[in-house]
Amino acid sequence: MATKALIELVDVSKRFTKARETITIFDHLSMTIAEGDFIAIMGPSGSGKTTLLNLLGGIDTPTSGEIRFAGQRIDGLNEAELARWRAANVGFVFQFYNLMPMLTAQQNVELPLLLTKLNSGQRRQHVETALKIVNLADRAKHYPREMSGGQQQRVAIARAVVSDPKLLLCDEPTGDLDRAMADEILSILQLLNKELGKTVIMVTHDPEAAKYARRILHLDKGRFIERELAA
Amino acid sequence: MPPILLQTAAVTKINVKSIPQRFWLSLSTVVAVALVVMVLLAFLAMANGFQRTIAGSGSDEIAIVLRAGSQAEINSGITREQVRLIEEAPGVARSAEGRPLVSAELYLVVDGVKRATQTKANLPLRGIGPEGAALRKGISIVQGRMFTPGTNEIVVGKSLLKEFEGFELGQTASFATTRWTVVGVFEAGGSVFESEIWGDLPVIQSLFNRNNVFQTARVRLTSPAALAQLKQYVENDPRLKLDAKSEVEYFADQASQTTDLIQKLGWPLAIAMAFGALAGALNTMYSSVASRATEIATLRAIGFGGFPAFIGTLAESLVLAAIGGAVGAIATWLIFDGITASTLGGSFTQVVFSFQLSPELVAQGVVLALIVGLIGGLFPAFRAARLPIIAGLQGIG
Amino acid sequence: MNDLSLIRKNLFRKRMRAALMIVSIFFAFAIFGVLGAFLRAFYAGQDLAQADRLVVVNKINFTQPLPISYFNRIRNIEGVRQVSHANWFGGYYQDPKNFTVVYAVEPQTYVDIIQDLIELTPEEKKAFISERTGAVVGEALARKWGWKVGDRVPMGSNIYTQRNGSQTWDMTIVAIARPTSPRVDTNFMMFQYAYFNETRTFDKDTIGWILLTTTSPGINDRVSKTIDAMFANSPYETSTDTEKAFNKAFIAQLGNIALIVGLVVGAAFVTILMVVGNTMAMSIRERTREIGVLKTLGFPRGRILKLVLGESVLLTLLGGLPGMAVAFLATLALRDSISQFVPGLAVTADIYIAALILMLALGIVTGIIPAVNAMRLRIASALGRA
Repeated sequence: MATKALIELVDVSKRFTKARETITIFDHLSMTIAEGDFIAIMGPSGSGKTTLLNLLGGIDTPTSGEIRFAGQRIDGLNEAELARWRAANVGFVFQFYNLMPMLTAQQNVELPLLLTKLNSGQRRQHVETALKIVNLADRAKHYPREMSGGQQQRVAIARAVVSDPKLLLCDEPTGDLDRAMADEILSILQLLNKELGKTVIMVTHDPEAAKYARRILHLDKGRFIERELAA
Repeated sequence: MPPILLQTAAVTKINVKSIPQRFWLSLSTVVAVALVVMVLLAFLAMANGFQRTIAGSGSDEIAIVLRAGSQAEINSGITREQVRLIEEAPGVARSAEGRPLVSAELYLVVDGVKRATQTKANLPLRGIGPEGAALRKGISIVQGRMFTPGTNEIVVGKSLLKEFEGFELGQTASFATTRWTVVGVFEAGGSVFESEIWGDLPVIQSLFNRNNVFQTARVRLTSPAALAQLKQYVENDPRLKLDAKSEVEYFADQASQTTDLIQKLGWPLAIAMAFGALAGALNTMYSSVASRATEIATLRAIGFGGFPAFIGTLAESLVLAAIGGAVGAIATWLIFDGITASTLGGSFTQVVFSFQLSPELVAQGVVLALIVGLIGGLFPAFRAARLPIIAGLQGIG
Repeated sequence: MNDLSLIRKNLFRKRMRAALMIVSIFFAFAIFGVLGAFLRAFYAGQDLAQADRLVVVNKINFTQPLPISYFNRIRNIEGVRQVSHANWFGGYYQDPKNFTVVYAVEPQTYVDIIQDLIELTPEEKKAFISERTGAVVGEALARKWGWKVGDRVPMGSNIYTQRNGSQTWDMTIVAIARPTSPRVDTNFMMFQYAYFNETRTFDKDTIGWILLTTTSPGINDRVSKTIDAMFANSPYETSTDTEKAFNKAFIAQLGNIALIVGLVVGAAFVTILMVVGNTMAMSIRERTREIGVLKTLGFPRGRILKLVLGESVLLTLLGGLPGMAVAFLATLALRDSISQFVPGLAVTADIYIAALILMLALGIVTGIIPAVNAMRLRIASALGRA
């Protein structure tokens, strides 16, 4: 399918020095991610999965090379610009949910909207929509400690999509959940991808989880091996 | 040793040894308690020093005679006839030659300059007769000599010299149009007399237009018990509208008002600060319990009861408070003990005194510190004793 | 939800901890307010003293007398507007221990000179001048003993004796003086010099000090010098100074009260700094991961700084404002009972302002390091995903 490239990595290298030793994570890596794709990235520890996600999300910058998002370079942006870019374009889902314990589900989901110019009425609308998508509208006023792992992760997903970003980056999103809950979460991610056209990049070590994606990329020592999956 | 004590000792040791892990927070408790103790002890040392200087100035073998109703020497007035009558009174000791040991005196206030602040100060100028010096305990001339009767010579007390300018040996002091030469410095055992200037009575009387006016008479009694006789004599004679008091009683009254005031200021302040320190201590201890929740729960899972955890936490709090108290006491001693200050005494004149810490006062400070430590550790100790084991093991404190 | 509610929720995550810090701050500011009021009242004499009022005392010391003739001589000096004189009576009521401030004054001129402090109606003034044994009592003193106009009160003197041998002077209260502002001390009594002088047995025809006003503060210096020169080399030399300087010197004799107050307040604030500062730092450290998350969401550095600083400032405000309120109540309760030593105890506007500034400063100082650290946090390490 000839779809637009959302993300392009061009000749990206990532090195860092630790106690006079230079460790190379990526060395002249290039890849393209099409808009609307759902990619699972698998690999042993130390393969650079986490670093790749960091680079894609603008949390980290490459030592050399270019990273393009929708044609725009993000590798040269400063911290403030990256923050603005992230707020508009990326949603994160973490393994341990990372919700604020003293806020309700609703308030947690509202957080990214505080960075916008929407008024409280408009924010409430967006939050309601997001919670509906993840099927958690009835738990809006509950605190994280009152919810199961699966429910908390759903709140996290709602938070990730409330600003309607193009890209969803998920780091072991089902790592802490049992089979049933994991399936629920992965179905939601699929839905976000198929119905709402979001580009999802998911790092996972679980082959069952990887099956929900369109493509699986194996990362080993900073290099890719690809295998396509039927959607 | 019974198991419970062994357990308690073990847990206490763990608790106390873990203090350095929460270094800054524990330090803040120590500092808070130390400051509370310092404030309290500084005030108490001030009151104590003031009290000692004044109260220690009196002798129970000396009676002081003032006009009836005068609260202080400066308000009093006695005539020459009255002085003569006092000299004849029973209970008055006599010298080997048969002279009555009575010193009629004049007490005036003159201006001096405080060294530390360069501001004006009221200083006492006392006109004394030949018996004057002898009627005070512990007087000795440490520099120069006594003034010569009939001249403009004066001697000054050591404390006065230290705190106020212009009275060095050989210097000329002027009070309005009068000029006086300082010929000697005297010591008086740190009593209130060391804050005075002495000159010859007749000279002072004439130069200050107070001829034939006296203010007080100091009388050496044949014995302390003789005061009663003197008092009766004075009360029964209608020409003598006077009060005879033991010097000890006189000075005790003078001191008490100021000392009470200082103490009434010091304690409430210290207590208010103690509440603030208490909040800090509670904070530190709750934090300590929380950060060691896993540790405590593990011990409980092994079989240690709640009691050792309770004592251990309490001990930790008390140790911190005790250190704070000790630091505060030592700091007060190093900084404040012995420093001299002066303030207005009974006759509106400056009294030089020094801050004096004593073991009894330090004890009070330490008790306050320990109370803060006790209360600060009590509630967190309960929490440690009742920590749900499973939650603790999971690290949810 | 907005930044303020975020700040508030963060602050009260551990309610006990927040409460304890608030208590700590509360006490420090209560102490600050009360001691500040104390200090103010102590030095009030300085502030209330008019710039153009001078005091003339005996050069040797203010406890020495001046001849009454000086009153008229000073009256005629150029630049002098009003003159009056007063004597210290050494007064007490019933028991010598009930020390009372009593002055024997020249009635007509004295009430005029102090009219910026004390209010009397023209009828009251007339009564004071005409009634020989008449006395004007300040409001606070009257309140203390329950005196009313018309009461006859015997005032004792611990210095003077009457010709008849007694030490009490019978006085009739002709007016209760009201203060022009709450800071004016009304714990005093004044009566006629004439009555005093006629009946006392010694120091007759002498006065304690002379109070005068000049036509403008600019000539104070010249007038002072003129007066002192006039009486130089006489048996009763004078020392003339502004009332302000005189009060200041007197207060200084008690000791360096300002220093003591400063040290105590300083100690209380150091305690807060340590306790709150450490706790804030600890609290922010515990939230490293959350701050990382906020940053991934796109919260800019400046906003993160604001959120953390906002927390410490909110904390000090929550403790400091009630503390000042309590200081206000405490001074109100104490005012009458200690008015003998410290008249007009009240927390004044400038103390409130200083307190507010201190609260903000304290909030910033206790929060700045944790706030900067939070701001500078690297997302990757904050999330534990380096």
